[in-house]
Amino acid sequence: MSARDRSALDAVAPPLMGPMESRLVLRLLLVCVGYYAGASIGFGLKFFGLTPSVLWTPNAILTATLLLTAPRRWWLYLLAALPAHMAIELTTTLPRSLVLALFLTNCAEAVLAAGLARWVSDAPTRFDTFRRVAAFVVTAGVTAPFLSSFPDATFVELLRGEPYWSVFSTRFPSNVLAELLVVPTIVTAVRAVLERSWVPPPRRLVEMALLGGGVLAVSLVAFGDPGPLAPRNPWSLHTPYALLLPFFLWAAVRFGPGGLSACLLTTALLAIRTGTLEVAVFSVALRGDGVLALQIFLIVVSVPLLCLAAVIEEARQTNEVLQERLAFEGLLSRLSSAFVRLPSPEMDRAFETWLTNVGGHLRSGALALLELAPSGDALTLRFGSPPPRADVPRALASRDFPWIAARLREERPVVFGSLDALPAEAARERAMLAEHGVCSGAILPLEAGGRVLGGLAYLASGPRTGWPAQLESRLQLVGEVFANALARRGTEDALRASEEMKSAVLASLRSGVAVLDRDGTVIAVNEGWSEHAAEAGVTSASRAGLGDNYLMLWRQAQFAGNVQAAHAVVGIEAVLNGRRERFAFEYTCHDPMPERWFALSAVPLHRSGSGAVISNTEITDWKRAELEAQRSRQELAHFTRVSTMGALAASLAHELNQPLTGILANAQAARRFLAVTPPDLDEIRGILADIVEDDKRAGEVIERLRELLRKGDAQTVVLDANALVRDVVRLVSSDALIRGTRLEVALRAMPSTVRGDRIQLQQVILNLVVNAMEAMADTSGELRVVVIETALIESVVAEGRMVSVSVQDAGTGLDRDLQELMFEPFYTTKKTGMGMGLSISRSIVEAHGGRIWGKNNAGPGATFSFTLPYAGAEQA
Amino acid sequence: MSAAGGRIAVVDDDVSVRRGLDRLLRSAGYEVETHASVHAFLASDALDAVSCLILDVRMPGPSGLDLQAVLATEGRRIPIVFITGHGDISMAVRAMKAGAADFLSKPFDADELFRAIELPSGVAPEGSPPPPR
Repeated sequence: MSARDRSALDAVAPPLMGPMESRLVLRLLLVCVGYYAGASIGFGLKFFGLTPSVLWTPNAILTATLLLTAPRRWWLYLLAALPAHMAIELTTTLPRSLVLALFLTNCAEAVLAAGLARWVSDAPTRFDTFRRVAAFVVTAGVTAPFLSSFPDATFVELLRGEPYWSVFSTRFPSNVLAELLVVPTIVTAVRAVLERSWVPPPRRLVEMALLGGGVLAVSLVAFGDPGPLAPRNPWSLHTPYALLLPFFLWAAVRFGPGGLSACLLTTALLAIRTGTLEVAVFSVALRGDGVLALQIFLIVVSVPLLCLAAVIEEARQTNEVLQERLAFEGLLSRLSSAFVRLPSPEMDRAFETWLTNVGGHLRSGALALLELAPSGDALTLRFGSPPPRADVPRALASRDFPWIAARLREERPVVFGSLDALPAEAARERAMLAEHGVCSGAILPLEAGGRVLGGLAYLASGPRTGWPAQLESRLQLVGEVFANALARRGTEDALRASEEMKSAVLASLRSGVAVLDRDGTVIAVNEGWSEHAAEAGVTSASRAGLGDNYLMLWRQAQFAGNVQAAHAVVGIEAVLNGRRERFAFEYTCHDPMPERWFALSAVPLHRSGSGAVISNTEITDWKRAELEAQRSRQELAHFTRVSTMGALAASLAHELNQPLTGILANAQAARRFLAVTPPDLDEIRGILADIVEDDKRAGEVIERLRELLRKGDAQTVVLDANALVRDVVRLVSSDALIRGTRLEVALRAMPSTVRGDRIQLQQVILNLVVNAMEAMADTSGELRVVVIETALIESVVAEGRMVSVSVQDAGTGLDRDLQELMFEPFYTTKKTGMGMGLSISRSIVEAHGGRIWGKNNAGPGATFSFTLPYAGAEQA
Repeated sequence: MSAAGGRIAVVDDDVSVRRGLDRLLRSAGYEVETHASVHAFLASDALDAVSCLILDVRMPGPSGLDLQAVLATEGRRIPIVFITGHGDISMAVRAMKAGAADFLSKPFDADELFRAIELPSGVAPEGSPPPPR
């Protein structure tokens, strides 16, 4: 505080009047004129025959000047007083050396007074506390005139021959009085002018006028020329000062030390002027002693009154501060309570209102709220009313202000006394602030929950050099409320956005979604569920509305004999109890026809497993399409099988002809044996046994054939891959014979269980073997070998053990460029054939969870392989 | 032809066929021996003993036609009756041109077989019962 106040004039003075120099010249001129005027008055108040004046004010004017200016400029102001001193002193008969000497003692007094006051007082230009007034009285009021009176008296005695103590005793009280009365008057007036608080309210003006008028009137009555009234004016004869006391007290109580000293000064001037004019107003003639008495009276009265005024002022100020603080705290508590339960949509308006309210309380600046976008440098600036410039909007759309944003994110405040004080990288900020008429400001970061949400800005249209600690702490308090409100709004907005998103997602779902509580009671459903419940052909559970128990409805269906319902009850119960993370199943509704398919899924509502979310989706179309696709696939597979069998027809005929030939031969032999008597029964028995065997064999051939030609649904069972290979080899062995091809079988997969459909998997093997034989049509006899191998392998791709079946030929091999195409439908290199074999094989293998591929051998020919997941140790 | 007169060899890879023909021919009074392949037949000493060959065309290893060719080059004129499960015309023509006694498609009637055997070789089973009518 004190460092700032010591140079109050330089600091407070706003740079409104143009260049510094012209203002300085104006002030110097003012000092010069003041000194001259003071000296003129001083000369007018002089006793005959004595050099010192009764009330010598120039020194006090200089003291006041020095108190109000910075010490480095003192020499300028003192120099400015010199012409005035010379001008006025030279009109007298004093020797020049004395004139100069007196100027020096005058300056010495002023410098002493101002210097001591600055040294002792924390705010030498203020007279608002007892301490400050006491410091002023002791230093500038008494010590400085006392010390400077010695050289002054010496000079006067030496250069003019006046008696030393007479000079001293006149000058000292005169200067003390001047310092006491003039300095507070001038300093208070100048401060009032500079702080622009000198235009008081009308009532105060009236009071000032009454006081001034009263003092003047009473002074005139007390000290003025009584004329003929004198003998009849008993008030003025013995107690002239007593009449003034009420006015002094009035001034002290109502107008502080400044007003009091002004009153005292007026009185003193009038009294001394009357005295020096030798008008007898006192009971004793106002001579030297009488003047001294007046001086002493004024001094004695002024000191305690100044102290009293200071005490009263101090109390008043303390009270004001207290009131103001109470008002602010009241404001703060209303602010806090206003934001406690405010819903977030109303917050923007509330921010503006309260920025206005708090800004109004803090005065001389506008408050603004800066909201930091969660990501990026965008800041939304929101003013209360009024913003620094009336024509700018209250809330500014978010814009990037990287510098301020970065500072705030680091939780560092931004304080600038003028826009020029902002660094070069804050160019955008400077432009924005200039656009809003802001000149200086302080921005505090707003932080809540460990996150910086923005800043609270105190922005002023004028430049500033300092920021009171009180302002900062209040901004911080207000900022905390705003920060919490911002944080809460952020949370509420996020929550609402999340809620809105969830309900939008739920509403957009065509599936029916229902939320169940712990007991399975429906507590929420989406539109899809309600629409679904209204449709025909859904289960009673699907009709569950709010408040119905979903689980119970499934139970009722279960008791009514619905097999699927039992499954649903178990699954949903497990999810509700938190025993399962997910339950999904498909079910059908037959009533009324046609059949409808639904997929039901249940997931826990909370991790703890209390409650569940049920999703019910109709999948009839999908299911139909899937069944349709399955049927087409099976038909195609069947067709392909039939055509493959067609190719094998000749060899199959051969396969059948063998047992038939045996049977016929045996039967005809039997007839012959029976014709002999006695018949050879052993032969007959042998024949019958052979016939049975042959017939069985023929039956097996036909059965195998029929199986392959059968048209039907796929049946997934556990199969032995080696047995599949053996069956196929048996089937094609005749064909291989006809083609002159040798089949080598190496069944290395032990065990070799797989899960799948027997016919489909046989078809794949058959297709590969027939392909292999056909590929060797042009291969010479010895090399026509097909090697069929099974193995149990560790798969890298599928993670787990796989059973592989590979069929190797020594034919023409694969065309490298067309390897990609050979599993595509209708791709074929054969003259006859549809090109469906490998395509069907692939779809079968992949449907069984396996993979099929073909590649050229190191030697001639190619190898086709496929894998199927190993079914473990299950029995085939 | 041979000393044995009525001895017939059957070469067929199929066991049912072999057993059936063995019984049928024996019931007609022939002496019969059966072999599962051309190699097995050649390895035995039956070649000199038989007066007629009943030969399957397709077998693993050398075919019946191959054996016919070998016998022809060796100048052995054993009557051959071919039997096949999937005969075609070109195969039959080839066999007949090479001097085969007959070409029968499986399954065939006993009379057909006996006619085919008797016609070229004139062998009749010794003490055979009259064919049942």
